[in-house]
Amino acid sequence: MTLLIRLAKVGRMPHPRASDVASVDLLVCDRCGLCLPLCPPEAIHLALDELVIDRHACTGCRKCIAPCPVGALAMVPA
Amino acid sequence: MPDCDVLVVGAGPAGSIAAWEAKRAAPELDVVLLERDRVVGLPVRCAEGVGDAGLREFVDPDGAPWVARRITRIIFVAPDDTEVPVAEGRTVAWILDRTRFDAFLAAGAAAAGVEVRVATEAAGMERDPDGRWHVRVRGPGGNEETLCARLVIGADGVEAMVGRWAGLDTRVPARDMESCAQYVVQNVQFDPDAVYLQFGDRIAPGGYAWLFPKGVGIANVGLGIVALRADGRNAREYLDAWIARRYPGSATVGATVGGVIVNPTIKQTYGDGVLIAGDAAHMVNPLSGAGIVNAMKGGRLAGRAAAAAIRVGDTGARRLSAYHQAWMELLGDDHRTYYRIKQALDGLDDGFYNALARTVNGIPEAKRSLRKVFAHALVKHPQLIPVAARYFV
Repeated sequence: MTLLIRLAKVGRMPHPRASDVASVDLLVCDRCGLCLPLCPPEAIHLALDELVIDRHACTGCRKCIAPCPVGALAMVPA
Repeated sequence: MPDCDVLVVGAGPAGSIAAWEAKRAAPELDVVLLERDRVVGLPVRCAEGVGDAGLREFVDPDGAPWVARRITRIIFVAPDDTEVPVAEGRTVAWILDRTRFDAFLAAGAAAAGVEVRVATEAAGMERDPDGRWHVRVRGPGGNEETLCARLVIGADGVEAMVGRWAGLDTRVPARDMESCAQYVVQNVQFDPDAVYLQFGDRIAPGGYAWLFPKGVGIANVGLGIVALRADGRNAREYLDAWIARRYPGSATVGATVGGVIVNPTIKQTYGDGVLIAGDAAHMVNPLSGAGIVNAMKGGRLAGRAAAAAIRVGDTGARRLSAYHQAWMELLGDDHRTYYRIKQALDGLDDGFYNALARTVNGIPEAKRSLRKVFAHALVKHPQLIPVAARYFV
């Protein structure tokens, strides 16, 4: 599972859906954790001081995007 | 596999007090307190303000090294910059040095016999058939091990992973998430005995902007917004605009961001062998966004409930539900009321706040207690009647 998440994070895994998914810019992200409880499918995690978005769990709902205090999250093609 | 009785995840105010109280209530228990970061109290994701009365329930702030500033005045600032000082004539609040304060609480827990482990992150947990939680943790250097605990207290802040792992719903609707940005700012002019709170749809939609003094000429300057009400800018962009307008020429020497959950307490703060406390359980006052003392109060209840449950050998959800009930009676039910008031206030616009500021400034400053301000406001501004009504409904 960890491997899957890591692969998904670097974008090497094909995504089965056509809709966009949330993606984090780790250079901008402050690791504050605000987006975690906003995610309905709980697709966002903090591990080893790094934000990880499970692209396969993301439903593309965008609820995490605008609340990010530094604008580190954006939708990208799946 | 190393065993402990109580494992507390997160060494903020909720976690340290919970661990401390559990050990104090039952000294024979093995209590372990985990902190993910390398230093307890860092990074500071907090405006560091705390009410005097609540703080004194736990610790004495007079002359304490973890205090940055004593506060005797609140200055409300209307959207049009009209300042409304509310002179309380006594100590109303303290601005803490959270780095030192959190370390002080964790050290207190350690002195009571709690094992504190820093740079150690909980990564997941499963419950075995005997009712023990097996918590996977990553220590310094990434070493993984499993800790076995009879009861886990989740004090892991907005992330609230422990609650998630235990199957509790700790999610937050977007309308109840304050996105906050804060700078530590120097070279600014302000009354160092006062906290400043400014409201306004263009300044901090759905929240407010604050200046909390840390000393003469140095302050925490920040704001919280509800993104759903914002104009497309993020919290940091709102803050940059506010500081440029209100504190030109200031020097920013620190920056932080974070979320404040202004949602009432989660429906269930307990599970089999699990208690959730502090921000993780949404124990923040939904009207003010204040969370430190609430976290300590929730942590105290959790620590005591944990110790009592282990002593009688029953850590089942049914027994632990008494913790939830105790919290709701102490503050949780009040927070539901504050939440309704917040919703009602959200409907009022900048024009209302500007007019309210003028009304209040008509009251002589010496007589301007919060109670009096509220009474006058209610008479002069009938828009407030539905807000006040929420208090009783």
